[in-house]
Amino acid sequence: MAADSPSSVRKVVVHLRATGDAPILKQAKFKIPGTDKFAKVIDFLCRQLHRETLFVYVNSAFSPNPDELVIDLYNNFGFDGKLVVNYACSMAWG
Amino acid sequence: MDILSWDGTLSSGGRILIIGEHNSQEEHDEISCPQKEETSCSEKEELIDIATLVQSNCSKVPYYDLHIIYSASYRVPVLFFRAYYSDGEPLGFNAIEKDLPAHSAKALLDSKWTFITQEEHPYLNRPWFKLHPCGTSEWMKLLFHVDVSVAKNGVTIELYLLSWLSVVGQVVGLRIPLEMLNQP
Repeated sequence: MAADSPSSVRKVVVHLRATGDAPILKQAKFKIPGTDKFAKVIDFLCRQLHRETLFVYVNSAFSPNPDELVIDLYNNFGFDGKLVVNYACSMAWG
Repeated sequence: MDILSWDGTLSSGGRILIIGEHNSQEEHDEISCPQKEETSCSEKEELIDIATLVQSNCSKVPYYDLHIIYSASYRVPVLFFRAYYSDGEPLGFNAIEKDLPAHSAKALLDSKWTFITQEEHPYLNRPWFKLHPCGTSEWMKLLFHVDVSVAKNGVTIELYLLSWLSVVGQVVGLRIPLEMLNQP
């Protein structure tokens, strides 16, 4: 289950996993308010890795829309108390 | 099926042609075009109804048609789309570019024309835009590599398309409802 915090906003534990040729983050686990959009996770990743675009997806072979709420993603794809978010650098189109 | 040796493509069991429509008006918070009648100021002429100032944008609501077409050469689905206003006038590439979500616009800056190209629709024989397919098998491979159930059960075509659409849909601002993934 998501960690409870004293305020009314539930926080979600996000575990960032490098896949493909992506660099591994020194700190890969974070807590983020459930009411935040997934875009925040994507932006954080892009800034940490100094990249404009990244391929970001969750464990069920699904790439969430940046407008999705983190809590909704946790409820659908969360496992073992956290939301695992995979990222790769090789997002080529053509 | 050995997921590690899968090349990320869809075998040609048949062609897929799905027609969907996407009205991007929901994404446009800036359009304050009033749908209601402006009767509130009919009695007092001095009153200025500022809501009518943006009326010229009323007909400029873009509609998007999205088609999914199987590419036999790349062996992956390809997204074709076109945009047009409610009066039928098509949107040019520059107008579409402004309409796309911010992250798509960024990708366009990096790789214009290798990302979205204009091509003749293979069945309708009209110029449509399409998302370039040649990277598709690579990221489809990544998507399914981490799905543990796939290694055991393989990939159904429905699951493949749903996963594929979750990625390409983001380019045009299409959002897959999470409930779709919970269906058996």
